[in-house]
Amino acid sequence: MKVIRAIYNFIVGDMTILIGVIITMLVLALISYVGALAPLRVATGIILVVAVLVVLTASLYREIRG
Amino acid sequence: MQWAIATAAFLASAVEFVEAFTIVLVVGVTINWRSSLLGAFAAAATLAVIVATLGVALVKWVPINDFRLAVGIILILFGLKWLKKAILRYSGLKALHDEEAIFEENMAEIRARGGTIAPSFQPFGIVLSYKAVLLEGLEVAFIVITFGSSISKTAAASGILSAALGATAAGVLVITAGAIIQAPLTRVPENTLKFVVGIMLTSFGTFWAAEGFGFAWPLSDAFIPILIAIYLLASYALVSWLKQYKRRASPRPSLPSVERESEGEAPEQEEVRP
Repeated sequence: MKVIRAIYNFIVGDMTILIGVIITMLVLALISYVGALAPLRVATGIILVVAVLVVLTASLYREIRG
Repeated sequence: MQWAIATAAFLASAVEFVEAFTIVLVVGVTINWRSSLLGAFAAAATLAVIVATLGVALVKWVPINDFRLAVGIILILFGLKWLKKAILRYSGLKALHDEEAIFEENMAEIRARGGTIAPSFQPFGIVLSYKAVLLEGLEVAFIVITFGSSISKTAAASGILSAALGATAAGVLVITAGAIIQAPLTRVPENTLKFVVGIMLTSFGTFWAAEGFGFAWPLSDAFIPILIAIYLLASYALVSWLKQYKRRASPRPSLPSVERESEGEAPEQEEVRP
């Protein structure tokens, strides 16, 4: 448990950022591998940039509220 | 010597070297040069082993997109962590009991006493430098092999040699230019540097992660400065928003009683409870 916690703190240390990035990557993976979502593939870059900014804003919001 | 291939490899490799060197430079200036160079040399050694083992089969065996995705995700995580701290610091909302600030205060105290701080290896810096150099080094190897093999099979060996010479020239040029500009960089305030590092890591991370999903950015590598501009503007907006929030959240300073009396106001009576 201590090792996992140390790795978590070393890489990110913020649950909002970690969960946000994981969800973003899962969504992008779905877009990338599911045929029905193929039309969204051209927007992968925009989706990622917007998601990164949303994650950053959410993390800052949580910081000032918490 | 095939000049067309050497020139093409020089230009393509220069872009990759600049990307790798940017990360090595920011790690060196903000964390320490020992960690940054250790990461870079370790990556170069790993790269040498990979290239020596696989040779031209490298292009077939190394899943470059998966590697880009993994490095991209880690850089986004690192970058957002740094960017968040820098934005909070710029807006004046950084927590008082901050471990990093305490560490920096201690370091400043030691320096003030005339003590010296031995630059130790920082895992964070080593990993960042290592990953960036390994990824970009692999991309340079890909460029050399694909450009070199693009001509007829009989001339492939001389083609690869020409491409390798072009890439080496690009590497020497970028490292020399970087060595010249690193000295003025040390005069930039530390907070600003950390903010820049956050922006850089997030931008490179976004670029590589999307490429890892097979996305081709418009303008290719030239889109990185656009990503940097987007994140800079967004960070500026976030700092402004947080400053406004701080102003609204902080209580309005009350006028001192002397000032109120001089303005003709009666001093407030304190409520006395039994």
